[in-house]
Amino acid sequence: MTSPPCRWLVLIPLVLAGWSAACTPQGTAGPATVASPPPAAPPVPLPNLPDSLKFAVLGDFGNGDSEQYELGERMAQVHTTFPFELVLTVGDNLYGSERPQDFESKFELPYKALLDREVKFYASLGNHDSREQRFYELFNMGGELYYTFKAPQESVRFFALESSYPEPEQITWLEEQLQGSTDDWKIVYFHHPLYSSARRHGSDEDLRAVLEPLFVKFNVSVVFTGHDHVYERIEPQQGIPYFVVGSGGQLRRGNLARAPFTAAGYDQDLAFLVAEIKGDQMTFQAITRTGQVVDSGLITRRVPPQQSGWPPVEAGPFRPGGSW
Amino acid sequence: MVRVRQMLVLLLMVVSTGLSAQQAQPPPNPDAQAIAEFIKQVETYMELHRKVEATLPGLSDKATPEQIDRHQRALALQIATARTAAERGEFFSPRMEAIVERVLKALLKGPKGQELRKSIFDENPIGIVVAVNDRYPDEVPLSTMPPPILKELPKLPPELEYRFVGAHLILLDVPAHIIVDFVPNALPS
Repeated sequence: MTSPPCRWLVLIPLVLAGWSAACTPQGTAGPATVASPPPAAPPVPLPNLPDSLKFAVLGDFGNGDSEQYELGERMAQVHTTFPFELVLTVGDNLYGSERPQDFESKFELPYKALLDREVKFYASLGNHDSREQRFYELFNMGGELYYTFKAPQESVRFFALESSYPEPEQITWLEEQLQGSTDDWKIVYFHHPLYSSARRHGSDEDLRAVLEPLFVKFNVSVVFTGHDHVYERIEPQQGIPYFVVGSGGQLRRGNLARAPFTAAGYDQDLAFLVAEIKGDQMTFQAITRTGQVVDSGLITRRVPPQQSGWPPVEAGPFRPGGSW
Repeated sequence: MVRVRQMLVLLLMVVSTGLSAQQAQPPPNPDAQAIAEFIKQVETYMELHRKVEATLPGLSDKATPEQIDRHQRALALQIATARTAAERGEFFSPRMEAIVERVLKALLKGPKGQELRKSIFDENPIGIVVAVNDRYPDEVPLSTMPPPILKELPKLPPELEYRFVGAHLILLDVPAHIIVDFVPNALPS
């Protein structure tokens, strides 16, 4: 699916004021970036419905820099109006050393406000993470490199994968878990993006060849990844929207390139994602360190063909900004 | 005379049996031999690792960073003590080292070479000195091990990993966070 020039940027003003976008006239090349940071404004609340599942996604964050702390503060600020209960991490949770003081300075302190409010982080590991992180209590991995858990609200099940060493045992496990899940929403998250237009890494096509058929077959509704230090949302691929949320700390400004599969992207500031699931719908917003909403939209869960009467690829209408 | 003939027949039979046995077996593959030796070394090491780990209090899945660190350092100390005489090349023998270098050269000079090199050197500083039994340098982020490289190297148990520190390929004991062996400057320039 090819986006018309700059369509993904045109959608953003739904939630933004004072926004200026840099995009080549044809929209087929050049960085998918914003020329200057927009002025600070409070994040727009999602529907924020009672009893919905509210969560956040964060990736590539643990460097201990001041910008990471600022994003942590922004997350805490958003949490006061949008009380998400859990945060999925898409890896590279700690850069460099992993001594006790590093867990403190690169994780516990930047997100102290959230941790104090008992927000639970569910980590997946990135290529720079030690496998020993799986034992760390605040990452809630239960000592496993890959695991699954049911969300506290709604019929949602999350699957955290380890994508640096995707051994056959893990793939078999994933297939069994996806097959056995009767939850309406199956959401998978891990580090390496199956689709990414960023110049540093880009799409992991080998991993895609292994995982995508399972996601399609077992009606995965959304996939969150990181690794590329930008924010990017991908046009649904075989009915599944993919996100790259590697913008949590080690930002690579100007690294995003527009690919035909790019639906939206931002690489000028740190950003995280908040999402809310109620029934068959998930709303989301990507929010920057300065509190700007740089992407938003609505995703309808994929429905198995026997339930919907149509093939899965058509079963997940995806309406970024609710405007399609 | 009959006896001599019988002896000759017997001798011929022995020789021909030996020859046919030799012909049935292909000549020993030096690569396969080196890899088998490497795997054997890994197995022997893992016996030691497990034996030592069993003497330590187990790590809970709700551990604090201090507990993880304490466990790591205790394990590292005991393994290093048990392997005080360990030298570079015990796992990566000269022949195994040559295999590794050949594999890396083929991949890095191949069509995806640039991409692989970029990925390996992502957050991976050069000029770091490494040594057997040393703790993985705290200041160095764990580097990326591209799957195409992993695919070509012998599979390791989950406790061990290949990683790059600069251009050196190291064998890392993950729970102990120590360097078990390494190939210096394994990456082609």
